[in-house]
This record gives sequence, structure tokens and C-alpha cells, in this order.
Amino acid sequence: MFRKILIANRGEIALRINRAAHELGVPTVAIFSEPDRTSLHVRHADEAFCVGPGPAARSYLNVANIISAALICGADAIHPGYGFLAENARFAQICIDHDLAFIGPPPATIASMGDKAEARRKMAEAGVPTTPGSEILRSLADARAAAQRIGYPVLLKATAGGGGKGMRVVDGEDDLPSAFATAQAEAEANFRDGRLYLERLVRKPRHIEVQVLGDRFGTIVHLGERDCSIQKPSHQKLIEEAPAPALSEPIREKLHATALAAARAVGYSNAGTLEFLVDGSEIYFMEMNTRIQVEHPITELIYGVDLVKEQIRIAAGEHLGFAQDDMSPHGYAIECRINAEDPANGFAPSAGTLVDVEFPGGPGVRVDTHIVAGSQIPPYYDSLLAKVVAVGRTRANAIARMERALSETRIEGVPTTIEICRDVLRSEAFRAGGVDVEFLPSRFIAARAVV
Amino acid sequence: MFEETVEHRLRPIAAAFAESDLVRIRVADDAAEIELRRAVPNARAVAPGSGGEQTNRTYDVITAEVVGVLHFQRPPVEEGYSLDGDRELAQIEALGIRNPVRSRGAGRVACIYVAEGQPVDYGQPLFAIDRS
Repeated sequence: MFRKILIANRGEIALRINRAAHELGVPTVAIFSEPDRTSLHVRHADEAFCVGPGPAARSYLNVANIISAALICGADAIHPGYGFLAENARFAQICIDHDLAFIGPPPATIASMGDKAEARRKMAEAGVPTTPGSEILRSLADARAAAQRIGYPVLLKATAGGGGKGMRVVDGEDDLPSAFATAQAEAEANFRDGRLYLERLVRKPRHIEVQVLGDRFGTIVHLGERDCSIQKPSHQKLIEEAPAPALSEPIREKLHATALAAARAVGYSNAGTLEFLVDGSEIYFMEMNTRIQVEHPITELIYGVDLVKEQIRIAAGEHLGFAQDDMSPHGYAIECRINAEDPANGFAPSAGTLVDVEFPGGPGVRVDTHIVAGSQIPPYYDSLLAKVVAVGRTRANAIARMERALSETRIEGVPTTIEICRDVLRSEAFRAGGVDVEFLPSRFIAARAVV
Repeated sequence: MFEETVEHRLRPIAAAFAESDLVRIRVADDAAEIELRRAVPNARAVAPGSGGEQTNRTYDVITAEVVGVLHFQRPPVEEGYSLDGDRELAQIEALGIRNPVRSRGAGRVACIYVAEGQPVDYGQPLFAIDRS
């Protein structure tokens, strides 16, 4: 096991990693930016280093200061969490070059899955179904030809992309030139890589992902799926649940088998997630996230596995302590993301001071958060304030528990997503289960039409 | 009303103050005014003159720009030294590279906050230079 782990992140995930390390008896080192000096993740760690000012580029992405802090304090491993440097293959390599274990898959795996076009190609080779698409497009003429072949509507995507940036829906040939130019400019600006590819647009799919866990000795297991179809208009997830409701057993099994085959094909180690679009009985590989996911707690609750501890153990060279046959889910779990965002204003993120904070408790409720009353929400980072998770023996039980938990939750000082989550939980479509990714955006359009 | 103020406003302010480098903070609005003072100055944080004493002197506090290990320039400067111009006072060693720490002009070394071989992080005060 490691001597000391440096946690290269902030917020709730930094606390989550801190807890896992402490339970394994491993001391921790936090890093923080100047505005995060009094943050909970700093207080819970055994040591802490300020690595820069507020803007992430100068602090949480400051590789030199982060590595230097790790070396000075005698850490022998770095956990990157999610976001920031978590899927940066060069950072992972730099860690290794300094004799620091990177708690995640090898840099080459991160690099090949981070390049969307390459990931699709690799998966197609492994027999994993992907949406019909193109290779990298060298020109607009290239794009036109590819779109003709695939058939409109198509989705233009940045190969370096993520978070919906550099992505455009193109309904017909007339829209292609402007969409190509804007997507390319956006990709260039956000990822310094303007390369695009095309894929067929799947209308109203469900977003279902499969958690995998592999050790360094070739053992790979899946820990079931998560339905993440409740997404904001920006395609960012808001509510996730596990197992996926209203899904036929053959499709569920196909998702699990496909995810395992895909993970094996790339020789995956550590925790990872394969994201799929599900359209009726068709499943399409979308992308693989080579890190811990925000929504990992719902899997933990129904499988009784501590994914972050497993990540650390695997990186330390330990064997996975269980086989596929040992793994079966119990009950249902739901997660609501409580963000400092204003749903009435296009989910615009907001900064400020929290004057009042109260979280729920009681049976079957878990809250992962870094905020307390008086916390300052800096304008520089992700707007996630807390993850409220509820688990129950049945889905109806989990929903009732989540409604109860959200009714106990109080956060004042910034607008939040609490009410919109409650609104979704009350809706008949959600209660019936199996809604698609257009569910939440279309509710907004409908609400506006009524006004 | 008073209890609410204490619970929701004073506590977070006090917590932030306790962890900050400040020696005095006053927060006021129409309803209330809260002033906190540090009884014993925080040795790391208090630059001469920034505390209670009245002085016309002006000080610059030189802080660390990188995370690393501090090494004084040889021969090391001492408190009270006069600097005739921009001088290299120390280096911060990070990833095998020695990053110079300069006085950024002439003055008197009023305070040295760090020791040889000490790890420093971003923004940590290293020297106070009296510019007057």
C-alpha cells in the first residue's frame, strides 16, 4: 500500500478520496488554490499545499507545483479525482516519471480513449457497436461526403471534445458549412484541437453507462449500469439512477457484456465507465471515461463496493478482491446533483456565500459534499455543491426517500437545482421510468410555451 | 435576531478569520457590526507595520511563486541588511530547478519568515522589505 497520497482535486471528490485513503490507513496531502484555503477538503487532509491563485489553470492544473508538492511531502501516489487532470495522459506520464503512482489507468489507455475518433475505431475493431460515423474530417467537402453516406441528421463532434463543446447537430446539407466552421472554432478554442468527425444522430436516446473495474493482472469485472438520461439542455447529467429502470434483461445483459468486451479489448485497469446510447433495442458505444465518475456513489450503494478504495488498491498493485460471480446489485439508488445554478436562467452557474446549509440524514441517505454554512463558492470552478443519494429496496422506495431527503435539504445564498430535481421526481414520466435525454430539455420548452 | 446573526454570520466569519492571515476584520451592515481582532499576532503572517502599531514605513512582502524547498543565497541575508538594488535573496528548488527569489528593488530586510531548507507553498511570505 502507498505511504502517502496527494489528492490533486478540490470539492466533494477531494473529500471522498480523503475518506477512502484514511479508511485504508494512508495519510493524505491536499492541494488548494488561494480562495479554497478554508475549504473542508483542506481541513480533512493531513497536510496541505497552496498551489496557486483562483483560476484553475494556475492552481489545480498547475502540474509543476502539484508534482513539486508531492515530492516535497514524500507522497508516492496521486489521485486525480474527476475533471482537472484526471484524463490528462501527459500528467499521468509525468507522475510516473517522478516515481509517483498515478491512481488511474496507464497513460496510453487515457490517451487512446481521450481521442474520441480513435476510441470509436478501437471499439469498432473489438466488435463494440458504435453509431455509424466517419474518420477525422479533413475538410468541409470531406464532411459533406461523409454526411451523405451516413444520412442526415448527423452530429459533428470534436475528437478532443467533451461537455458538449465543439458539437453540433446538422439536420441537412444546407446547415453543414456554418456548423462545420463553428464546431471547428469551438473545438480549437476549448481543446486547442480543431479536428472533427461525424456520426449519425440518434434521436432521443437514453444515456446508460456501465461501470468497470480491472486490476493489473487482467481481472476485469463490471458493476452494472447507471441510467444518466436526466440531463440539462447542455447534456450535463443532473439525476442518475442504478439499475436502469424499464430496461429489458437482454439489453441490460448486452450492455454488461459489451462493456466487459470493450474494457478487455483495451486491457483496461482501474475504474472506468463505458457510456452508451440506447435506442430501443440498439446500443451504441459513445465514449469511455478513464476515471472515477461523479455519479459513482449509486453503484457503490447497490453493489456494496467502495470504488475509490478499489482504485487505490489496484494502483498499489493489489488483486481485485472479487470475481464477477460475487457481484450482484441489491435495491435501487438515485443521485441528485445539487449545483449552484439557476435553472430558470439556463442553469447559469452562480458564485457567492452560503448563509444557510442543512443536509438530510436518516435511513438510506448519503450526502457527498464539501460545503457548510459560510462556505464561499468561488466563480472559478464546477458548480457542484453536493450529491444527495438515496437508496431503497425498490425504485419507488428510493424515489420516496429521495423526495423526503430533498425536502430536508436547505441551501441559501445561491440559486440551486434542488427544486428542479424535486420537480423531475414528481413527474409521471420519471416515475414510470425509462425517459430519454430529451426529457428535461423538452420540459423547459413546454414550460416556456405555457408562459 | 441576535442568535441568528451569531449562528449564520459570525461563525463562518470567525472560522474564515481564524484560518486567514488577517489580524483584524470588521463586517457591518444596517443590523449589526462585528469586529474580530487577533490577540496574538500570527508569526507567519504579520508583516512589520501591518499590525496595530502606527508607522509611516512601507513594506513589501515577497511571497513564494512556486511550491518548492527554500535555499538562501550565499552568504545568506539577515534581518536588518540593506539592499542597494534588486538582489537575489534565495532560490526555491522545485523539480530540480532553482527558481530565484529577488528583492524587487532596494530596501532593508525587515523580516525573514522562512528557514533554510524549508518547504514553501504558493503565496507563502518569505521576506518583508522596508522600502522607506
